Amino acid sequence: MNRASQAKVAVAGVGLRQYKRGGATLPEQGILIRAIIDACEDAGFNPADVDGFVSYGDDKNEPVRLMPDLGTKELRWNSQVWGGGGGGIAAAFGQAAAAIISGQANAVIVFRALAQGNSGRMSAAVMRHHLNDHIMGAGLIAPAQICALRAQRMFEYHQVPHSVTEELVKASYYHGAKNPEASSFGKELDLEAYRTGRWVTEPFRLFDCSRENDGAGALLLVSTEQARDLKKPPITLLGVANGASQGWGDLIENDTDYASAGFKPVADRLWEQTGLQPKDIDVVQLYENFSAQGIASLIDHGFCTYENVAEFVKFENLIADGGKLPVNTSGGNFAQGFIHGIGTPIEAIRVLRGESANNVANAKTCLLAGGPGAPTVSSAIFSVDDR
Amino acid sequence: MKGIGADEAYWQALSAGELKLPQCSACGKTHWPAVWRCGECGSWEHEWKSFEFSGTIFSWARTWHEFGAAKEFGLPYVSVVVEIDNANGRRLLGTIAGNAENIRIGDRVRGEVISVNIEDEVIPALRWHLDDKPSTATKFNSGATL
Repeated sequence: MNRASQAKVAVAGVGLRQYKRGGATLPEQGILIRAIIDACEDAGFNPADVDGFVSYGDDKNEPVRLMPDLGTKELRWNSQVWGGGGGGIAAAFGQAAAAIISGQANAVIVFRALAQGNSGRMSAAVMRHHLNDHIMGAGLIAPAQICALRAQRMFEYHQVPHSVTEELVKASYYHGAKNPEASSFGKELDLEAYRTGRWVTEPFRLFDCSRENDGAGALLLVSTEQARDLKKPPITLLGVANGASQGWGDLIENDTDYASAGFKPVADRLWEQTGLQPKDIDVVQLYENFSAQGIASLIDHGFCTYENVAEFVKFENLIADGGKLPVNTSGGNFAQGFIHGIGTPIEAIRVLRGESANNVANAKTCLLAGGPGAPTVSSAIFSVDDR
Repeated sequence: MKGIGADEAYWQALSAGELKLPQCSACGKTHWPAVWRCGECGSWEHEWKSFEFSGTIFSWARTWHEFGAAKEFGLPYVSVVVEIDNANGRRLLGTIAGNAENIRIGDRVRGEVISVNIEDEVIPALRWHLDDKPSTATKFNSGATL
């Protein structure tokens, strides 16, 4: 994507079905069909006319199998971003945009569906993608452990104070408590429980970790021109970048900028592509698998540095009620729910439409920072239609 | 065994109680993970060079939750990333002997090869021991209250 193609593609509809882990009322494919129909109804678009599908994170629901339920007339694009984790979430929008801008498809659904009964524990599914004897011989078999190693480097070597993770988690729960769809609705973070929660892998206690939900999310993308004729105001995709630079990747913990979340080169491309800077972002949907990785992601994107992170990552700065940079207005993966992150782009659309449980006055731009610390990562910027 | 890339010689050496990493015969770069072709200079020739089982703690994580790792580790156990001495900063993974309550980044370690059962297969793995001498990590703020 370059500036000439900026904003040519927009999100026209969103759908989200979330359940407790292991508590889905239908098998995975059934929930996904519901979420896709929700997204089409949200947009006022005939589901049979959807002709493209993109997912990420080793989703198991091959689009061709959805055709009978959706009444799909013709499947023209089906693809998935490489990588087992949430690193590909924003890149999925890049593939959808590529399909639409190149004329290979007209209406593309970006989706992710996950139900424990069908796909097992998400953390285990993510790790299956990465397991080898190097990491298993070191007792490393869960994403929490790999992220803990990187977090420890950030805290101990780069001297990022632990207090910042508490501020971030607190802000997520503050928003989640006000969101009727959130798993933490009505429950703000109990600070004592956060500080004394059981260790998972040091430096992470229980509430530093996102906990999985069953569910499915879907977003319908069409050309911005077409979106203007549909039910809801278009939210345009202003820019998207994905990948890894030399010295980062699947390197059995030999990554150069080890304590980072891997976003620096991706974020640089995103800023260059859109002509925007961190100060131009009104609200952030930050994929936080673990608290420290959320912090590293904010640093990588240029919102703050190792030196001033404690001044920037403060509860009052991060909340929708007047904060300088509201983060995770739905509650995010921590407090809204975690269906491999698909709730985060959906909240990006809702908050820019003014449909969030925690709206941000006059918000025009929203950064989606995808799964941090993965071998490939991706970010995107969504914007209100400025026609 | 499920290694990655061109690392078969690493496992063979480790099984024989030796630590070997590949060095590009043309440009001298120590590669890890192992490669078939040097992405720096294009050479396909590599020499597997021996290294001492010694290095520095680059990072660590102590696991308390039962994730289902090999039973030999027990709970809790400390996984480490170790920067190997004289290897251009290349790092290897392993576990620390004991609970290592005072472990800090920068601590010096010496290693040995242990056997670990992974999915009905016995593989060699690295077990590291903290040196007794005063930690070099005192210059770092530990940050965490652990």
